Amino acid sequence: MAGLGDLERDVMAQLWDAGEPLTVRQVFDRLSRERDLAYTTVMTVLDRLAKKGVVTQERADRAYRYAATQTREEMTAALMLDALSSAPDGAARDAALAHFVGRVGPDGAAALSRALEAARNRA
Amino acid sequence: MTALLLGALGLTLSLLVPRPLARARWTARVPAAAVALWQAITLAAVLSAVGVVLAAPEELVRATGRGAEAALIGALAVAAVIVVRLLWCLGGVMYRSRARRERHRTLVDLLDRAERRAGLTDEVRVLDGPLPFAYCLPGRSPRVVVSDGALQVLTAEQVAAVIAHEQAHLRRRHDLVTESFTAFHRAVPRPLRSRRPLDAVHLLLEMLADDAARRAHGDAALRDALTTMGDATTTPETDGGRDEQAERRRRLERLRPGAPGPDRRLAAAVLAAAAGVLVLPTVFLVVPWLDTALGNWPL
Ligand SMILES: [Zn+2]
Repeated sequence: MAGLGDLERDVMAQLWDAGEPLTVRQVFDRLSRERDLAYTTVMTVLDRLAKKGVVTQERADRAYRYAATQTREEMTAALMLDALSSAPDGAARDAALAHFVGRVGPDGAAALSRALEAARNRA
Repeated sequence: MTALLLGALGLTLSLLVPRPLARARWTARVPAAAVALWQAITLAAVLSAVGVVLAAPEELVRATGRGAEAALIGALAVAAVIVVRLLWCLGGVMYRSRARRERHRTLVDLLDRAERRAGLTDEVRVLDGPLPFAYCLPGRSPRVVVSDGALQVLTAEQVAAVIAHEQAHLRRRHDLVTESFTAFHRAVPRPLRSRRPLDAVHLLLEMLADDAARRAHGDAALRDALTTMGDATTTPETDGGRDEQAERRRRLERLRPGAPGPDRRLAAAVLAAAAGVLVLPTVFLVVPWLDTALGNWPL
């Protein structure tokens, strides 16, 4: 059986692909096409993702629906910005991550920010 | 006298030595020994500062014959401030880096395009997007992050070289070295602060990771990966004084066919110098001073 980490990743993928809030049942149905898993496991995973702040829970038509707080593109762009851009607090950032080559300079960071903005507007 | 000599040593090590050492080309042939030398110089500079703070009041008291107790308390207090400030900075840098990596890892694991990393090691994660890059997240459960863009433009052999480079950073805990230099950088009062040791050590650690990658996958694969990815991700501007292009040029220089390889004798000499920087002042300055001081202080 796949670890909880893999399951979290796959649940996020379902929410991103759906593009609309899903109930636990809907996530469970989509995932159980490919694998054997328990309904309660899906509940647990969605709860964990909500605690991590990457999923929001909303109540609609007597059922809880879950949605990703950011699109995949937004979250990827934000992460790349975190990893590659230079920040005012340069020294501390250097200590956190090591790169194969450089960072994205101010131009690249601006381009990434624009991509992030565009992704947000599309959503 | 001891205080003056220690002060001169500390200023030499922190103000005069870093510039020529950062510019020196021979360090590229012995990156591991050069990192040790930077560590020894930095530690010796800190110890000199502490030594000045302790020795100066004692020598003054001995010369004038007054105020011994006040001088002792004052000296110990200032020395304690220096040490505590260093440890405080180290703790802060380590805490913040860990928190940031933790969050970053959580998100990378969720965004991972697992289907695109078939054949790569378990700790690799693939991010969407055309920009070719790779980096590593150190820690107890480390990650090597590669962009889909990198997988597109690099050959399998080049990807392997890039991953070997990142894994060398992780396995040898280069993050701890960087963190200690970052902490030292922040602990130094602003007017005296210099990015030189931090940047020089950063480049040397890159070279060490490069050496691990080239041993496993050859010079050509690493060189081509560095060229391809560097062209796409770095911009000519420098920020905070670190020149990315110059760093890449110096890494590429040592991967060229016919470039001078590692030099064992030079490495031994540099390691001896590193040991000397720490041991000689202790033996010739600190120990004789302690001998007299312990006899005079109101302990
Ligand atoms: Zn590196």
